[in-house]
This record gives sequence, C-alpha cells and structure tokens, in this order.
Amino acid sequence: MSYFLSRTQVVVAFGAVLLALYVLDLVRRRRLSEEYSLLWVIASVIIALLGFSTPLLVWITRVLGFLGESSTVFAFGLAFATAMLLYASIKLSRLGYENHELTREMALLRHDLEELRRERGGEEAR
Amino acid sequence: MTPPRVLVVIPAHNEQASLAATLAELHRVAPDVDRLVVDDGSQDGTARVARASGVRVVRHPVNLGVGGALQTGFRWAVEHGYDVGVQLDADGQHDPAFLPALLAPVLAGRCDVSIGSRFVESSGYRAPLNRKIGMWLFQAVVRLAIGRRITDTTSGFRAYARPVMEVCQHDFPKDFPDAPLLILLARHGFRLEEVPVRMRERQAGRSFYTLGKQLYYPYKNLLASLMALIRRPV
Repeated sequence: MSYFLSRTQVVVAFGAVLLALYVLDLVRRRRLSEEYSLLWVIASVIIALLGFSTPLLVWITRVLGFLGESSTVFAFGLAFATAMLLYASIKLSRLGYENHELTREMALLRHDLEELRRERGGEEAR
Repeated sequence: MTPPRVLVVIPAHNEQASLAATLAELHRVAPDVDRLVVDDGSQDGTARVARASGVRVVRHPVNLGVGGALQTGFRWAVEHGYDVGVQLDADGQHDPAFLPALLAPVLAGRCDVSIGSRFVESSGYRAPLNRKIGMWLFQAVVRLAIGRRITDTTSGFRAYARPVMEVCQHDFPKDFPDAPLLILLARHGFRLEEVPVRMRERQAGRSFYTLGKQLYYPYKNLLASLMALIRRPV
C-alpha cells in the first residue's frame, strides 16, 4: 500500500494547503477580517490533515462508515462549506438589522439637521 | 391637565399620486392633529408633495418597508412627547373621518392599541378570494396565539398608545406589520380593541402586496407569527 491512497487525496491535500495560504494572505492584505479567516483556516487544516495522514483518514472512514476515503475528505469539505454559509447568513441578517436601525436613525438626524439649518437661515435673514 | 397629543404617521413609498389628496382630506377632517409623513425611500416626488402640503417629512434614504417607516414615526413620536400615534395609509384607503372613533378607546385608556376593522360591522368590503383565504388563515393564527378573535388582522389603520410606541420603536415585525405584530403586542401585555371602520379602494399607486409577495407573504407571516409567539420579547 502506497502512502497516499489515491490521486484525489493528493490533490485535495495540496489544494487545502494552498487555500490556507491564500486565506492568510487575504488577512495580511486586510481583504478578510481575522474573525472570518478562522473558520476557513480550521477547515483547510482539517482537510489537509485528512489528505496527508492516511492512517487517520482510513480510521475515520471506517468509524463513520463511508465507502471510500475520498468520500470522507469531500464530506468534511461539504460540512465546512455548509457551516460557512450558515455563518455568513447569520452575519448578513445581523448586518441587515443594523443597517435598518442606522437608516432610521440617519433619517431622523437628517430631518433635525435640515430643520436646524432652516431655523438658523431664518435668523440670519432677519 | 393638558390635552393628549396625537401624531398621525403616514408611511409613504412612491405615493405622490395619492398623497396630496390624503393629506388634504386629513387636514379638512382633523385640522389640529399633528402629521408626519415618513417617506420610505421613494423614487418619485412623495417628499415634495408632502412638503408642499405643509407636512413634516422624514426621509429614509433606502426603502425599509412599512414596518421600518412606522418605527421611524414611532421614534419621532416618542422623542417629541406624543401620547398616541395613529397609522394612516398614504393611498387613501383609510378614511380620516374615523380618526375620532379610532382614538376614543385609546384616549379613554380602555386599550393600548385600537384597530380599525372592516369586519366588526359589515362594511361592504369585498376581498378577492385569495385575500379572503389569507385573512381567514391569519385570523385563525392570531386567535390560536393570543386566545381571542381579531376580525381584521391585516388592517393598517391603528392607533397606538405611547407605551406601545416605546416598545415598537425597537421591536417590530419587518415587512408586514399585521398578524405577527398583533401577537407581539399581546405578548407584551398590551390590550387590543377593534373599532368598526369603512375602508375605500386605494386612490392610486400600487399595493404593497404584489404577486411575488403573495407567495412569500403567507410563509413569512406564518413563521413570523410563530416566532412572535415563542421568542422572548426584546
């Protein structure tokens, strides 16, 4: 038995490493906040672990009852993608709520500002 | 004792065609009541029409939906010391002649929210079948949730006492303030009362209930009703 079970495993493992590096680079360039990078880094580390450590992969595959080792890798990837999407939806909802509050607050402030300006304009004209 | 201060809040989204007539009628029927138009991100001349009628306007830079517009009105009312807020549609469906009847139970302290209802007494209102089914459904949902019958759950012609506005400026159903709102209000312990009114056809403009929303509405409203029932009030 070779150290790697399949070519898929190699591709996924190196892909995961590249993804982790890319995520870290995004954080370095301030395109991605540290908060969001965490889940991505964890995901890619786990995928890379599964890809490189064949005994671990074989063991997990047996325990969870998957038919093939590559299925295990993809199952984990899919689980993380789902978690990430749900997390993004939660964040979006929160942003929507905050946006809603800010819009209303801004509308009231703008109204007050215009009213103050009108009052002052009236004073200066006198 | 100073007389109670009443603010009529008029949420308006692209209502330039009907707003002037609505405001003129309101002024004719109730000249001394304060009015506030909340322009909910209109693309047309809604704000201009309102200002031309001499009515105060608060403008949302983007569209938030009726709920958001009302919340802005509530916050304004709370900050400026109003005792009662009335919600009046910009499209002329709500007849301001019923304003005194709507206000009476709130001002008398008999209830916290009064709802202008088309069905307490036969008002000649005939809904299309799909609306009718929806109304039955949400009437049943509300009854199940709060244990009493509200005949007109979708009526947007309501008067709110100050404590209600204080709560609702922070916690309010987003898109359609009807069945979920009634459940929310009941859960906060506010007393609801229905007042018979007659409603008219909208004068101009489009209804909030467009086709896409007709499919989304029942799902969203059922879920929001359930959530209003089981979540902890803010």
